[in-house]
Amino acid sequence: MLDFLQVVVDGLLFGATYALIGIGFTLVFGVMHKINMSYAAASIGGAYLGLLVLKVMAGAPAWLVFLCGFLGGGALGYVVYLACFHFIPYSSPLATLMSTVGMLLLIDEIIVHATEGRPLNYPAMFDDVMLRAGEFSLRGDLLLVFGVSVACMAGLLILLYRTKLGLATRAVSQQPTAAQLCGIRIARVNAVTFVITGLLGGIAGALIGASVGTLSPLLTLPLTVKGLIVTVIGGLGNVPGAIIAGLLVGAFENVFQLWRGVTERDLYVMLLLFVFLVFRPGGLFSKS
Amino acid sequence: MKTIALAVAAAFAAAAYTGSDALAQEKTVRISGFGAKTGVIRLFGINSEAAMLAAAEVINKQGGVTLADGSKAKIVVDFLDDRCNAEEGISVIRRIYGSDAVVAVGPTCSNVAEPLYGILQKRVDDKGDSGLQMPVFTDVAIKGGLAKISEWSFRNVPSEWTMYSSLYYWLKAKHPNLKTVYGGVEEDFAHSRASWYAVMKDRALANGYEVMGESKWLLNDSNFSTQVREMKKANADILSVAAHPFTTCGLLKEMKRQGYKPKLLVGLTSTSSMEVMQGCPKDVEGMIIPTSYAPVNKEAKFAADQTAKYKGSADLHSMAAWENMFILKQVMESERISGDKSQLQADRRKIRDGLAKLKETKGLLGVTKRTEDREADKPYLFVQAQKGEWKVLHNPL
Repeated sequence: MLDFLQVVVDGLLFGATYALIGIGFTLVFGVMHKINMSYAAASIGGAYLGLLVLKVMAGAPAWLVFLCGFLGGGALGYVVYLACFHFIPYSSPLATLMSTVGMLLLIDEIIVHATEGRPLNYPAMFDDVMLRAGEFSLRGDLLLVFGVSVACMAGLLILLYRTKLGLATRAVSQQPTAAQLCGIRIARVNAVTFVITGLLGGIAGALIGASVGTLSPLLTLPLTVKGLIVTVIGGLGNVPGAIIAGLLVGAFENVFQLWRGVTERDLYVMLLLFVFLVFRPGGLFSKS
Repeated sequence: MKTIALAVAAAFAAAAYTGSDALAQEKTVRISGFGAKTGVIRLFGINSEAAMLAAAEVINKQGGVTLADGSKAKIVVDFLDDRCNAEEGISVIRRIYGSDAVVAVGPTCSNVAEPLYGILQKRVDDKGDSGLQMPVFTDVAIKGGLAKISEWSFRNVPSEWTMYSSLYYWLKAKHPNLKTVYGGVEEDFAHSRASWYAVMKDRALANGYEVMGESKWLLNDSNFSTQVREMKKANADILSVAAHPFTTCGLLKEMKRQGYKPKLLVGLTSTSSMEVMQGCPKDVEGMIIPTSYAPVNKEAKFAADQTAKYKGSADLHSMAAWENMFILKQVMESERISGDKSQLQADRRKIRDGLAKLKETKGLLGVTKRTEDREADKPYLFVQAQKGEWKVLHNPL
């Protein structure tokens, strides 16, 4: 029983990073009704950009690396918007999908070339802290990951529901034409959406790197898949859904691994996705 | 007029003489390398290519390869990317077969080597077998027992079975108080999987250790909390990790977080590289790995320095590629290849026969014996991670 509880808690804590990745996918879909397949790759790219701080200032504190990852992710988000969405006609969803797939491969390959595929040490905060209660333990760094993720999600929800920018974003996602008629500049809203999701992605990438302790381009494809699963389970365009779905996927992943082993784990995660697609295609909080 | 005609004739004669000399100097023999040059294990391909180019430069500076007619030819190296993918590897070898390359050196990955050897002609002179008749001399793909698939496939890779056998035997003698072994294995990577189940586990049992089980993960995994808890519960004396640098580092970092430190760490041959030292130098401290390369003598250091000029690093894999080039030079000369493009297939056959005849070759650490099934019995030693470097711990020879 204790093993099961430990596994679930570890999964929930790690799932907070999946939630951040899922939010990025779902927010872009919600605003533009398009999927940005390069989001996870850009998140990891942001994390790598954070490591540039160590080139300038050896021994820089971890929080500075995270901050640079956060900002680097935002910058990459804007680049992705310009390259894959801004100049492509709105009426060509397939074109934007393919361009983001291309961007995913490009970012992945740039990372591999820049690092020669070598895993890089990634600084962490509180990685030497372990809260114990008998056999049960909680990792200090994962608690930080969870805490920062929750703070980011809260910040995003406040931005979306309590600010003019958020109002504009929701207006564009609901009725782009009407929003335009009201004087909202769609291109500006879309660009800001990408920067915001990029910032979230950058911090997600940095937190993932910190929780693993090593950053590697091997992370981009599995995170892309997890992000898409979280987006579908949470409901396309549903930010609170993506948050809950991320935590659930993290927990279920660990539970499946405990019950069925690592070779069958991903099988069951995919089955979970199919169950939702068949019985609840609108996501966790859909009405049907 | 007559004088002018004589002068022109003399000039032509001189040009013909120097021209033929130039033509002889322009004779080339192509050796095509192939391996993973893209993707996360592109470092293997980069290092192999660098070692091959460096070796070719050394050979060419010494005059090149002596052909059957006594003339010299320079070695030309090209390197193709198979992306560690079986279909791409097969496509690449077919492309090499269609080129003027006399021999292929590669591939990087065992999951490419196995199906690739499968499309070569199984038995030479078997007219009923339309498989490719192309000699392939492998430098990196290390999963055991593959060369016997085809009589056109040869390998210059160390025997992990021999190395781990020797390692566990030595550990038993040196640390008699250590009695149990627990494994950690990348389940979805051919080399890691084969190395744990068929080699490390088997050899540990054969040397009297109790193997208490193994924890599994996948190549792309980033969360090892469950696996480390399993390891802690088993509490074995020795932890044997059959995994590549990314997950090895991830696992070691998780072990540090959970405060788990086995008495001894044993690693996979491919982990004895600079990647691990860059990813987790402190966490890997003390890990012992058997390897068929270390810069312990003049030749080994020279090979490493030359390879570094081509932006590669020396490890047991890339230095096998270096050795392959010199072995191939020796074979090409002993079998007297023509170097003539019109006799390409005959030259390939000669190289194959020459490689098959070899009983031993000269390696960087000493003499390598060739086995009947076209594998290599290479000298090896044990290295240990010490303060950010792989230091020689013990030389069994």
